[in-house]
Amino acid sequence: MRIFGTVFFKELLIFLRSIGLVAVVLYSFTIDVYIAGEGIEVKPKNVSVGYVDYSNSILPQKILSHLHPPEFKKPKPFTSQKELSQAIFNKEILVGLVFESDFEKSLLTDGKTKLNILLDSTAAAQSYITLYYLQNIVMRFVPQKEGFELKTHKLFNQNADTHMFISFSEFISVLTLIGVILSAAVFVKEKEEGTWDIMLLMPVDSKIIILAKAFSQVFIIICASILSMGYVVLTIFNTPFNGSFLDFFMLTLLYSLTLAGIGLFIASVSKDIMQVAQISILIMMPLIFLSGAWTPIYSMHPLLQKLSLLSPLRYYIEGSESVVFRGTATVDLLQYYIPLAIIGTALFIFGFKKIGRLF
Amino acid sequence: MKIGVIKAYMLKEFKDLIRSRMIFLVYIMPTLILVMFGYGIKLEVKHSRLIILDHDKSELSYTLINRFEHSKYFNTKVLDITENEALRMIKAAKADIILIIPQSFEKRIFHKDKTEIGAFIDGAFPLRAMTMQSYVQGVVYSMIRDLMERYHIRIKKIEINYRNLFNQSLRDENAIVPGLIGLVLLVAPAILAALLIVKEKEKGTIFNFYSSPVKKSDFLIAKLTPVFLLHSVNIFILLLWALYLFKVPFRGEFWIYWLTSEIYILISLSIGLLVSIVTNRQIVAVILTVIITVIPGFLYSGILMPISSMSKEAYIEAHLFPVMYYNHIIYDTFLIGQGFEAQKNLLYLLILIFYAALLFIIGSALLKKELK
Repeated sequence: MRIFGTVFFKELLIFLRSIGLVAVVLYSFTIDVYIAGEGIEVKPKNVSVGYVDYSNSILPQKILSHLHPPEFKKPKPFTSQKELSQAIFNKEILVGLVFESDFEKSLLTDGKTKLNILLDSTAAAQSYITLYYLQNIVMRFVPQKEGFELKTHKLFNQNADTHMFISFSEFISVLTLIGVILSAAVFVKEKEEGTWDIMLLMPVDSKIIILAKAFSQVFIIICASILSMGYVVLTIFNTPFNGSFLDFFMLTLLYSLTLAGIGLFIASVSKDIMQVAQISILIMMPLIFLSGAWTPIYSMHPLLQKLSLLSPLRYYIEGSESVVFRGTATVDLLQYYIPLAIIGTALFIFGFKKIGRLF
Repeated sequence: MKIGVIKAYMLKEFKDLIRSRMIFLVYIMPTLILVMFGYGIKLEVKHSRLIILDHDKSELSYTLINRFEHSKYFNTKVLDITENEALRMIKAAKADIILIIPQSFEKRIFHKDKTEIGAFIDGAFPLRAMTMQSYVQGVVYSMIRDLMERYHIRIKKIEINYRNLFNQSLRDENAIVPGLIGLVLLVAPAILAALLIVKEKEKGTIFNFYSSPVKKSDFLIAKLTPVFLLHSVNIFILLLWALYLFKVPFRGEFWIYWLTSEIYILISLSIGLLVSIVTNRQIVAVILTVIITVIPGFLYSGILMPISSMSKEAYIEAHLFPVMYYNHIIYDTFLIGQGFEAQKNLLYLLILIFYAALLFIIGSALLKKELK
């Protein structure tokens, strides 16, 4: 136990002494998460609208008055359709509305009329949702059949606020990346310096050394996670925490152990830090890809769905999202705890055995 | 400048890259990122798990359920459970949407009484929630419209006649892949360039350079040329993936794509050079490069948010990073095809050249051939 403590604190001290590393870890867990959460927004916001009005009637102005901040910028008038499309081609305008000369007249005489919309669909997400906004505005504009209403509620996040979600996802990516690299680096550094063989040959039980080294990095990661979650995600972005903090902590701990396991494995097969970087990328990319972070798992190809059962990230993302946003009870979280624990233990034992072998 | 020295140095770098198998990283990583993200980022949500609680059990409610069952966007289940049980399924991530059809829904619709359908959507993933919401609204409203047309209820309406420019079918691949090329070509050369220099610093072999008569310019040329040449090949590899794997149309001229990409790689190299000046350890160099290139690469790429819709500060920041200019030209060559007929493209190319020159000059001025 004394040896464990010594190695543990030695690693912490080495970590704290390398100011560059501390700075990078701090930066990634705080400022990076903050920038991502603050900067990335996928909702249509400030959409630049341009219009050409050939009809000179009141109706177009009425429709345009519905396009207001924060979703839309003030619509910009153009004199001809050619000018409007030029602006769209130069990416100054995202959505162009063209009101034909008989726009209002046909509505009054025939009961229907056409509104022409030009969309820059290189930003597919924005243009898709903008189109849907416009459809809603127009639908509201013409009196509909009275009485019926479809009420939609977005549970847990009624305004579909993306800041807290993206800062949270960024936190998970940073945790994954840094977690693996730190725990691999702590072993590979000794390999590079040639001291690892000596460590294994010492009369001290090598298992204790490995455990202490791995846990020192897990400890650093957990501290950084608490800082990041508590300060950036929860405080700055006001993310509501609907579940129990203990659950989140336990999940993060299990996940960090899994990451340490992956790190141990990477360390055992690589000779220097360069290889660590390469192999971590090669291993982490499929893990992230299969985790459902980008594509929902049920939208994937059935074979990929099966494969995704092996990705520990899948359980961590679903589990921690459930705790934080959905406020899921502990009983329902067992479906994440159990596989995460199994995969984590398996990976950890595997890496542990492999790094402890001398030849 | 001694040609012999540079040649020998470059030969050593190439051999080093091949022996340490770094060469795989040079070619596999960009392709891997392009393929993973290109396939991975899907804005369309298919097969979302919908639970319908039908309290009405009328002909109209069956029509509605039928419509949901025939949509590829939903995996519909009609369950006879309480609302709380359904909510618990959402909490356990076993369902995404609950749709509640109230009692006497049909009757009230035909009597023109007030009635409403409730849709509860899991909002833990906001963009997905918004997409699902629009799908649900689409299905429900189209049913109501058909219903009214069947009973010849005349309503005034404004039809929307829209044209998606540049990406007619709203394919995610067309929107994302060109932007990803901009991201990859910013990150990969920078990492490699930074590592080649920092590696020597960490191992201590940089002192060979400090103490030898090799000039700073020779050293820089020898270190950066291999990176430049190796990644120039990537320009073509990435283009082939985009064209043949992702089937992105290419409407512009090839030489514009090529020329701009080469300049862009120079910018990335110079960023790597700057990173290698401030760091002494490879691990820090890798993480630092990733952080300063990936975040602006994504934020200001126009993939997630068009530059024109950014807020004031973000708009200015976006103009400070080279990504935006490159992506503007790249999206033009892939999807629009105006080339240099549009003056904006030409202007942006000049800005990129200016960036490359500026960063490279700063980098080489700060690289000192002596111990700090």
